[in-house]
Amino acid sequence: MIRIEGLCLSVGAFALRQVCLEVASGEYFVLLGPTGAGKTLLLECLCGLYRLDGGRLIIAGRDVTHAEPRHRQIGYLPQDYALFPHRTVRQNIAFGLRRSSASRRQLQQRVQQLMEELGIDHLADRRPARLSGGEKQRVALARALAVRPQVLLLDEPVSALDESTRDDICRLLRRLNRQLNTTVLHVCHNFAEMMSVADRAAVIADGRIIQVGTPHEILQRPANLAVAQFVQPGNLLPLAKWLVVSGRSGVQLPQLVTSAKKAQPEAAHAQRAESYPSPEASCVAQKSPRTAAVQHAHETSNGQDTWVMLRSENVRVLTNAPESLPPDMTLLPATLSEITHLGATVRLRTVAEGGVELLALLGKREYIGGNYFPGQRVFLAIAHTDIHVITQDAQLS
Amino acid sequence: MAAPVEGFAGRLFAASTLAFVVLFVVGWLALFAADVNYVLADAYRRLPVGPEDGSLLRLALRGLVGMVGVLGQREILAALWLSLWTSSLSVVIGLLMAIPIGYAMSRYRFLTHPLAEAIIDLPIILPPVIVGLSLLVFFQSPAGKWIENSLVQFVFQRKGIVLCQLMVSASLGIRAAALTFDGIDPRLEHVAMTLGCTRAGAFFRVTLPLAVRGLVVAAILIWTRAFGLFGPLMVFVGAVRLRTEVLPTTIYLEQSVGRLEVALTVAIFMVLLAAMGLVIVRAVGLRGQK
Repeated sequence: MIRIEGLCLSVGAFALRQVCLEVASGEYFVLLGPTGAGKTLLLECLCGLYRLDGGRLIIAGRDVTHAEPRHRQIGYLPQDYALFPHRTVRQNIAFGLRRSSASRRQLQQRVQQLMEELGIDHLADRRPARLSGGEKQRVALARALAVRPQVLLLDEPVSALDESTRDDICRLLRRLNRQLNTTVLHVCHNFAEMMSVADRAAVIADGRIIQVGTPHEILQRPANLAVAQFVQPGNLLPLAKWLVVSGRSGVQLPQLVTSAKKAQPEAAHAQRAESYPSPEASCVAQKSPRTAAVQHAHETSNGQDTWVMLRSENVRVLTNAPESLPPDMTLLPATLSEITHLGATVRLRTVAEGGVELLALLGKREYIGGNYFPGQRVFLAIAHTDIHVITQDAQLS
Repeated sequence: MAAPVEGFAGRLFAASTLAFVVLFVVGWLALFAADVNYVLADAYRRLPVGPEDGSLLRLALRGLVGMVGVLGQREILAALWLSLWTSSLSVVIGLLMAIPIGYAMSRYRFLTHPLAEAIIDLPIILPPVIVGLSLLVFFQSPAGKWIENSLVQFVFQRKGIVLCQLMVSASLGIRAAALTFDGIDPRLEHVAMTLGCTRAGAFFRVTLPLAVRGLVVAAILIWTRAFGLFGPLMVFVGAVRLRTEVLPTTIYLEQSVGRLEVALTVAIFMVLLAAMGLVIVRAVGLRGQK
């Protein structure tokens, strides 16, 4: 439905560089990135608000690179909603219908239907200045949907809303996407928001698309350090630090999607084929080919460019060492140093052997059952598949 | 506005700044009061009855009646009428220029933008008489003579009054319009364009209705400036009674023949009109901006 081919645009010192992206018909696609990454600029390019320096834009099979915004069949919802302050809610929604060939009665019905669908029919005669953030958002959405767009472009649609309204609107957006089968491109900087709505997502930083994948892939397997830092895994350690931990306790590194793979293809191949060792055998396994690959990455990069990521919610905290452990898991002895209550979750800060700090995020129920206290000796149970290794020069998606 | 808790030093600072406000306002009020006093005293001198017959209120009323009588003179009424319609026409033409120029200066950036901005603002800071002189010289040039002979005559004509007023006051209107458009988020137009509008459509359906308040301010600024214009008119169209005489010219002519009370009466009338304009600017233009 949306195809962006090699889009280039410079605006002052900032530039979108060779952006390529494809969004399928009816898909809910989230463009995720930190502030200043170029998300809004890319969206405005799709709207036709900038003349491109290079590349092509295709919407619904039609090349719209040089088409005026009104000919692109898009619905655009800007970050601040941009409701027309001199018009009532009803007039705002009907704004785009003036050129429609339908009769006045049909248009009025369409506006009424949209207002009812979005639960804003009681606001019909109000001006935007007298609406709450959530109400403004719904009005702007209704206005964008009124023209029956093939693509809905949403620029941080819920960033200015409180948490409960945000959840409501996210559910509403997802429902509309399924009901109307409209392709949605949603820009945001919050990965929780991405998780709640996206079929697929892309991460953009510094004007480049860095990774495209499912929300789960992006969260669990970030393509490079920038993405990893952005998705806040909790535990992101330089390889050198991690090797200290693994050297003492035997935590193994899984796939190494790094330059090391290119440098030592045989070792990397062996690494994929290898089964993960048991805790008892792990120290021995450090001499295996895959450990050699990690070691190589460490040596060639001097440990500076290779990082190990482990999401804090994937770390289990045990108060007693279990008698047996699945072969793909490792136990890591540690001392509980700090407990922080975050509402529905609790963050445990631990210090593993070698002084390496690791975070674990527990659910409230799990935390209460564990009877944890600072200074307590605990064991961190880590599944090898949850460990992700990143190098700075990892391939861009 | 929040009023923080303040000690003596804070109150002293506030009092000294307010003292300057009082000094300035009182200075102007004193000037205005002197004018009113002169006119009323003149009316008092002309009273057929002795001072013991008239209370202060009656004296003031007599003075006002005298002022209205002065304003009712044929020459002054003609000057008032000429002032009113020329400055109103200047507003219409000025706005027709200010809206597109203000919009262009606000929305588009081009290579010579700073230069264009400086030229647009120039008449605001220039002594107005220079405009009159420049117009006079221009219409002595071949191009000017061609306009005079083939299109329309301006020099020493009533149409020249409008041209002169426009050249001096349009800049104020353009500046006000540009500031108004600056204050309207271009994103509103962008959204309108994604909803089926052309750029012009977005301007007429979104930006212009939102700019109405600022454009009223622009109109009042043009009108008051045009209404009070004197120097360039003396140079460009002269001061011919019942022909090119506007109210400021009347003041000049009357005081030059020693009828100071008439000159002052017209002046007071003009001050009241200007004050009314400024009050409307404050009430309409600045409402909701604080």
